[in-house]
Amino acid sequence: MAASTQTLAKPFSRIYGFGSIYGKTIRDSRFSFLIAVGIFAGLAMVMGTAIGSVFKTPADRVAVDKLVSAMPAAMVNLFGNATLMGAKLGTLGGYMTWKYGAMFFLGTAAWSILALTGTLAGEAAKGSLDFVGSTPYGKRRIALEKLGAHLTLLWITQVLLALAITASSNTFGNAALGDQIPLAGAFAFAILVGCFAMFFGGLAFALAPLLGKGGAAGVSAIVMMLLWAASGLSIGGPLVTLSPFHWTAEMIPLVGLYAWPGVILTGVLGVVLLVVGVELFVRRDMGVTMGLSLPGLPQDLLGVRGPISRAIGDQLPRAIAWGLGIALWSALLASLVGSFTTQLTGEQNLTQIFSQIFKGYDFSNAGGWMQLYAELFYIFVGLAAATFVSKWASDETDGRLEAVISGTVTRARWVVAGGIAALVSVVIMTVLFALGIVLGAASGGSGAGDAVLGSASLGLFAAAMVGVGFAVGCLWRTSLAAEVTAVVVIATYLIGMFGPALNWPNWVTQLALTNHVGKPMIGQWDMTGVVASLVIAVGGIALGAWGASRRDIER
Amino acid sequence: MTAVIELAKLTKTYGKSRGIIDVDLQVNQGEVFGFLGPNGAGKTTTIRTMLDLIRPTRGTAMVFGIESSADPVSIHKRIGYVPGEFALYDRLTGGQTLEYFANLRGGVDKAYQASLIERFDLDTKKRFKQYSKGNKQKVGVIIALQHKPELLILDEPTSGLDPLVQQTFFMTLRETVQAGSTVFLSSHILSEVEKSCDRVAIIRDGRIVKLDTVDGLRDLAHHQVELRFAGAVPADAFINLPGVSELVAADHVMRMRVAGPITPVVRAAAQFELLDFVSREPSLEETFLAQYGNAAAAEAGTVSDGR
Repeated sequence: MAASTQTLAKPFSRIYGFGSIYGKTIRDSRFSFLIAVGIFAGLAMVMGTAIGSVFKTPADRVAVDKLVSAMPAAMVNLFGNATLMGAKLGTLGGYMTWKYGAMFFLGTAAWSILALTGTLAGEAAKGSLDFVGSTPYGKRRIALEKLGAHLTLLWITQVLLALAITASSNTFGNAALGDQIPLAGAFAFAILVGCFAMFFGGLAFALAPLLGKGGAAGVSAIVMMLLWAASGLSIGGPLVTLSPFHWTAEMIPLVGLYAWPGVILTGVLGVVLLVVGVELFVRRDMGVTMGLSLPGLPQDLLGVRGPISRAIGDQLPRAIAWGLGIALWSALLASLVGSFTTQLTGEQNLTQIFSQIFKGYDFSNAGGWMQLYAELFYIFVGLAAATFVSKWASDETDGRLEAVISGTVTRARWVVAGGIAALVSVVIMTVLFALGIVLGAASGGSGAGDAVLGSASLGLFAAAMVGVGFAVGCLWRTSLAAEVTAVVVIATYLIGMFGPALNWPNWVTQLALTNHVGKPMIGQWDMTGVVASLVIAVGGIALGAWGASRRDIER
Repeated sequence: MTAVIELAKLTKTYGKSRGIIDVDLQVNQGEVFGFLGPNGAGKTTTIRTMLDLIRPTRGTAMVFGIESSADPVSIHKRIGYVPGEFALYDRLTGGQTLEYFANLRGGVDKAYQASLIERFDLDTKKRFKQYSKGNKQKVGVIIALQHKPELLILDEPTSGLDPLVQQTFFMTLRETVQAGSTVFLSSHILSEVEKSCDRVAIIRDGRIVKLDTVDGLRDLAHHQVELRFAGAVPADAFINLPGVSELVAADHVMRMRVAGPITPVVRAAAQFELLDFVSREPSLEETFLAQYGNAAAAEAGTVSDGR
């Protein structure tokens, strides 16, 4: 047979395409790569433009320093070592590290966790890995090619992040105020971010052959959040010493502070974990895991009576998981309020600064603090809503829907039942959040203030996002419902954050639902947002019920 | 005869769960070897162990004279495999999927690949997710065949294929064997093993309970017969007929198991006023249960080898 009639992978397809396992993994990851670059390099670019317009003068920068230094030590370093930065906190690099540093570290690491658990363990669970495993490649090579593809994209993202930081700070930053970040500093920051991603991604990769995709991702994410909180909140104890956030606390390259040993340790341990992951994959049975599942729901909660109870039973575990996660966060913040209030007492100067920057906020109870972090809570509950939408949509994308509606359940009833279940999940999550505030504030010796009632605004926002997801799922396609919902949540956040700062047109900033809800955690409600949320939630589900009856069922 | 597959005391357990126990068998070059068993009997576990996708707890699996866990890549180079349950890449088209696996193998004859696509009538432009169950199975079958492997390992390969495509599949299989390949065909469908295999092993509860030629297996075949008469009929008229067992008479209905030719039963029934005659070939599961019972599986150490 002539060679020309035989398949021969083109050289480029070995790097990107169907020419090799590496090439296909790169191809499969292209969207997540673009999203990661968009978010992280984009955030760096936008930060450069924003800080120049929001904190224009040296006086503004000093105010930032004072604000941060007035915070309780336990909270100051949660998002970056503000204590060590000192006056440099008022520079672009300092502010970026302090306010958004954790987003870079945690966000990039979360990407690695998802990618490295999805690539081998995910394929093994799905069943396609048996095909790949029977090709003439050893398990080690399969693992290394897949791992290599993710690391390639991770580090390309870091290079682009470094370039974006340098370009942004040099273009928009004020040199006189120390905003400009040299390329070396930006690259050092990117290396730090990359090492965190390798560490936690490596942990997930090492656990995946044992626990499977979901178990490994879940455990790694929990470990990451615990180590971050333990270090940032200066809890002390042995947990902190295990935290790479603690090892690298003095490495703040965006303000010119370098401490490489911690970074090297994090990176080396990341590599070790990745190697362990490869070896475990090689040595263990393919697709056979120890299994790590949550306890099953009691029969009554499992919901087998009808479509609504079944849909609720389906959503309940993730509603409780999201609720407990966000409740932990609210409890943590609320518990720190007491010590902060004590610190503020008698500090007339600080009280004045706070009242100037945060008009109407009462920081003597949990409400003021909850409102300060409200933008992050909105993202969190919005993404939770996207997962509720995803669970409902899986009825169709996983092929269950045909069985469900081939009985007496109509399409509209399926949508309404799913909608009710998603809204019930939102309520459960919100109630747990409010409960976290009450318990946290009580344990810290302060009051909850208006935050308990204000929590309802998070529920309303999440409900609205559920409505968006259901409308998209039924009018367009369920396979995109959760993704579109997540995009709307992130777009809302970005518009809310950067719209006013960058003087975007009014009609653009008005698009963010969160710009219409007032400040409910401190008792300032805007009924426009309440009504809009309810209309979007109920209207979206109703529109979905109408739309689902008029389109083909996906396969 | 050269042995292509040799399993010796192959055992795989998952903690306390049973996988397979002391599986011994040999598959020779150029042979089509059937591997029969009900669901959960251990067919897939045996295959995955042979391919080193999972590791044996004890015993050995040799393929082409190579121990599977020692050098799986050398084995994989020479085999084609259709897993029992598989998923591929939802967003890739059938054509892209075939291209990917052809590239991983290298050296796939494009003309042969095209002939398989044509023969199985696969629309390669559709995304895998959009395929019906049968078309997904076709993609898996073509992936296994397209590089003309020396050994085909097929785990329930006709699952989801319609009868016409099944016919095409078995025709392709015959051609592959004529070209020198060996086939290891796992199935729970007795008839497809009967018509395509030379020898058969039956696995039940993780143990090989029978290993024989297909002719030997035919002895297992029997019919469940139900006769309905206008009036009472003496059981003695049937009970001593050759091949008749498990005779049950109730009212005017007589049920029995008939092994071998059914003619004596038909002749005997014709002596009475017969209202209805139902003869059904039992499922493999029923055949197994009737033939071996639970105790037999436990005593499976006594394997009859028909080689």
